[in-house]
Amino acid sequence: MTTQRHEFDPTPFLVEELPWAPRFSLRVRPEHRAALAGALSLELPSKVGQRSTAAGTEVLCLGPDEWTILAQDADALTTASSAAYAQIPHSLVEISDREITLRISGAQALTALTTGCPRDVEAMPVGTGARTLFDTATIVLWRDDRQSFRIDVWRSFLPHVHAILDQVLVELKSGL
Amino acid sequence: MSRYRIPGMGRVDPAATVSFTFDGRTYQGLRGDTVASALLANGVHLMGRSFKYHRPRGVVTAGSEEPNALIGTSRGKGRFEPNTRATVQELRAGLTTESQNKWPRLSFDIGAVNDRAYMLFSAGFYYKTFMWPRSFWDKVYEPFIRAAAGLGKSPTEVDPDSYAHRNLHTDVLVVGGGPAGISAALTAAKSGARVVLVDENPEMGGSLLSDPSVRIDGRGSWAWLAEQLSQLRAVGVRLMTRTTAIGYYHQNFVGLVERVTDHLDQPPHGAPRERMWHVRAEQVVLAQGALEKPLVFDGNDRPGVMLAGAAQTYLNRYGVKVGDNAAVVTSHDSAYYAAFDLVDAGARVAAIADTRDSVRPDLLDAARKRGIQVLTGHTATATEGRLRVKSVRVNPVRNGQVGAGRKIACDVLLISGGWTPSLHLFSHTKGSLTWDADSRTFLPNHKTEACQIAGAGRGLWGYGPVLEDGVKAGMAAAQALGRSAEGSDARVEGDRPGTGSSQKELPTDRSPGKAKAFVDYQNDVTAKDIRLAVREGMRSIEHVKRYTTNGMATDQGKMSNINGLMIAADALGKEPPQVGLTTFRPPYTPTSFGAFAGYHKGATFEITRKTPIDPWAEARGAVFEPVSLWRRAWYFPQAGEDMHAAVARECRMTRASVGMFDASTLGKIEVAGPDAVEFMNRMYTNPWTKLAPGRCRYGLLLGEDGFIRDDGVIGRMSQDLFHVTTTTGGAARVMNMMEDYLQTEWPDLDVWLTSTTEQWATVALNGPNARKVLEKLVEGQDLSDEAFPHMSVAECTVAGLPARLFRISFTGELGFEVNVPARHGLQLWKAIHDAGQQYDICPYGTETMHVLRAEKGYIIVGQDTDGTVTPQDAGLDWAIGKAKKDFVGKRSLSRPDIVAPNRKQLVGLLTEDGTKLEEGAQIVLDPNQSLPMTMAGHVTSSYDSVALGRPIAMAVVTGGHGMMGKTVHIPMPNGTIRATVTSTNFYDPTGERLKA
Repeated sequence: MTTQRHEFDPTPFLVEELPWAPRFSLRVRPEHRAALAGALSLELPSKVGQRSTAAGTEVLCLGPDEWTILAQDADALTTASSAAYAQIPHSLVEISDREITLRISGAQALTALTTGCPRDVEAMPVGTGARTLFDTATIVLWRDDRQSFRIDVWRSFLPHVHAILDQVLVELKSGL
Repeated sequence: MSRYRIPGMGRVDPAATVSFTFDGRTYQGLRGDTVASALLANGVHLMGRSFKYHRPRGVVTAGSEEPNALIGTSRGKGRFEPNTRATVQELRAGLTTESQNKWPRLSFDIGAVNDRAYMLFSAGFYYKTFMWPRSFWDKVYEPFIRAAAGLGKSPTEVDPDSYAHRNLHTDVLVVGGGPAGISAALTAAKSGARVVLVDENPEMGGSLLSDPSVRIDGRGSWAWLAEQLSQLRAVGVRLMTRTTAIGYYHQNFVGLVERVTDHLDQPPHGAPRERMWHVRAEQVVLAQGALEKPLVFDGNDRPGVMLAGAAQTYLNRYGVKVGDNAAVVTSHDSAYYAAFDLVDAGARVAAIADTRDSVRPDLLDAARKRGIQVLTGHTATATEGRLRVKSVRVNPVRNGQVGAGRKIACDVLLISGGWTPSLHLFSHTKGSLTWDADSRTFLPNHKTEACQIAGAGRGLWGYGPVLEDGVKAGMAAAQALGRSAEGSDARVEGDRPGTGSSQKELPTDRSPGKAKAFVDYQNDVTAKDIRLAVREGMRSIEHVKRYTTNGMATDQGKMSNINGLMIAADALGKEPPQVGLTTFRPPYTPTSFGAFAGYHKGATFEITRKTPIDPWAEARGAVFEPVSLWRRAWYFPQAGEDMHAAVARECRMTRASVGMFDASTLGKIEVAGPDAVEFMNRMYTNPWTKLAPGRCRYGLLLGEDGFIRDDGVIGRMSQDLFHVTTTTGGAARVMNMMEDYLQTEWPDLDVWLTSTTEQWATVALNGPNARKVLEKLVEGQDLSDEAFPHMSVAECTVAGLPARLFRISFTGELGFEVNVPARHGLQLWKAIHDAGQQYDICPYGTETMHVLRAEKGYIIVGQDTDGTVTPQDAGLDWAIGKAKKDFVGKRSLSRPDIVAPNRKQLVGLLTEDGTKLEEGAQIVLDPNQSLPMTMAGHVTSSYDSVALGRPIAMAVVTGGHGMMGKTVHIPMPNGTIRATVTSTNFYDPTGERLKA
């Protein structure tokens, strides 16, 4: 007979709520991407899922014409956006308060995400991101390291996501 | 050691005794036993009563296809489960089990009177028996059927267990851990692919676990198996036991259910009982093997009659001898090996009766050596024994004539009607089947998914061919993934090849009409039921199935479908494929609701969205109501107040001074870009071009059909930027609809949509003193009527917070809505509440909001509209930009049925006697007309209005706009209510209060 293994891990993963940070949704036609990037002093990756980091500002390409920006200097960004708008039509909308970010890290962080995320998270390269789901909530998933992720969850969906992660933590602690 | 346990045999742990109870009696089994194997080790074959006739039944199989040994199991309080298969449930300490469908006890059951009256219960007996008199249906027949239907007791307590969920992506998913599956998994994994191998049993090995005498690559099959498993682990294959693939869906999406703790004595804290896996695989290998069929003859259901393969499994895997003196009736070679193993283990086999006239010489030799008498060309015509088989009657068949019977004493009767490839998962994919005339079975044919089928599941037999086929399937899967895989050969000694002949019910010398020859054990369907169904006009197997219920039990006909088809085809004089095969549907085996629910129970049953202000409302004792996924404060009762009193007070205080309301749930969309105004013109009915920045307007959104979909106030923040609000429930829908049009119809527009519903928290202030409260908090905006008239919007600072301030009203009072970044929402709420204290500011909930808006005749989409209401019907013609070239729904508004005069139109209703109408109540024009009356419309909203001192209602009434002042009638259980048709604008019709 096979015997069931019991691996008791006291902290399979850790969930931390990250502090508020300025966040924007940027939309521009792909043909204006490069020009706008220059005007905003940003690197705007052209491939969905790709990220860039420069001077403390992180950018994630979520669609052919959509980027999420974690801005180091929000005022500078909005000022540059206003200045560039007449030449390069685009939309820059602040969404700092729309989502709350959780960091999920630890030996079983990946497993924890697979409880709710239908995407192949394992195959996601470190340093990429994606809009996906956790359970029934839309999230933006950032893979920062092999076992370190961030998820941006709409504010009112966060308690549900958090409650499921709490259950998953108990489940993983059981070793089964 | 139990009476029927054979020391040194089986894979159970002889040193680990496990106690359990069955019908109150304590038994000892061994670790590794199932309930069925442990009971058999104790000589217990009688495990249940059948569904319809309450016939005593014993275990027939050793697997998940078991139709008879369904038991109730309890693992403690709240942990009772009916219809657990005794052949699947592993023994665990303290397990309590009970038989089902018996009263007063298993060995003597009153319900067995059905068995005597079996002539009444023939096929279609429901349809025939319960037809008349018609009046008996509600009081007699239906209650009787409901009481009789179902098997086992439903659990009544809340399930305390937790259930889990996982997603898994893999290159190759192999279903079935037998020889074919193991070979396929190892071959694919060696090519570098990610491989998952699942099996429903507690351990991998499949048929190898029941065939230890076979030698593979110079080792015993069990040693070979252990080595293969360690190799699989070494190359990183994920091995999942106790895991059933329950369904195979589009694009290689396969559902698995893992039984995590049911087998454990002491499950660790927090461990889920079951876990549902959603697997997405590039390639699927189906290696599910084959299921043994029973033979159909009179008395083939007595306890002690079981499949030969099951007896072999009980012996080799569990070390349990199913009886001391076996008889065998078979039409397939495989039963010989079961008989040989039994004799080799010390049991006696009285005889093997084979339906075939000639049998492989090596089998006959091996039987002779063991002293087993083989009777070729024989049929079985009866069995004896009430609670356990005592004998079988076999007769020679020569040239179609059944000769004289002879009785063979036995305490267990092993039967085998051959094997049916397990086609269930393949059938889920809608893959087509082909009829193999030689083996008289269906085999997988055209595939619709990226899958391979290997081994006995596609009709192969014997370890050599099956192992080779598994390797081929693994290579094919790897190659399909663009990987190169190497083949390998396995050398099999002592293989157990086999063929058989397929049978309908066995011939008999007695009256076939009296034979209780069971085809479907679980639903008690006999061969004569199927023939009766054909006689009564059923031609398709789908009709035969529904008429007889053959294959409709929870085992989905795993054992009965093919036998049923053979008999039906024979009765129709057609080939089986012309009669058809019924469709297998997920789940493969019965699956708990818990596994499907996963984490969705208790507090995480469904998302409950809460606003940033929700904690304040909760602390104030607000009563909440659900609005789509949100929970919203419904009303704020003070001490001693019921809902009616609280709402009346909230309404009164708001109209008298000022009220505040959490409007954060309103949907919000930022529409930005050079073409924003053009986009707005196309989406909404209203004209937007001339709306100046800093102003806002009520917007109406239609579908292409011209019916109202949503509404909300929209502010023009700048030339190219609109702040759109939607209804709470419509937020996501409106966003999707807008994106749909933008991406598919107008990709040329330079405009972008961003959902900002949760970026902002919104507080609405309404009442004559609203400005006085707000003035204390606002910086950067003059709030006077001249500088900031009704329908204005501005960016300013409120309570020190950056804000978008609207002057709008959903109450008819002077009103404002303040939006601040959501993280500041609670702070804003408290600041306004503090500032409003000198004006007795009154927090109000959604009910008061509904009353106040109804007093003004403002509609609520989804309450006063139902997807069939046009702007004209709702009295909102004024919101249509008549000069606009186009907008979504414009063309529909000129359709003949939309401009017809007698559409249902939204009006106000005032009852003559001052009673409050019921929402949803039907309206008639003439209360004296004969039944059924012509309905002229219905009440959509109804409230007690403090401001008007009487109840008010809104309703849709046919031609209502032309009926002002006329009387309509609302028939209710206690009499008909008269009401006068009025305008919906009940309160302050000239709108003076708005302009304050």
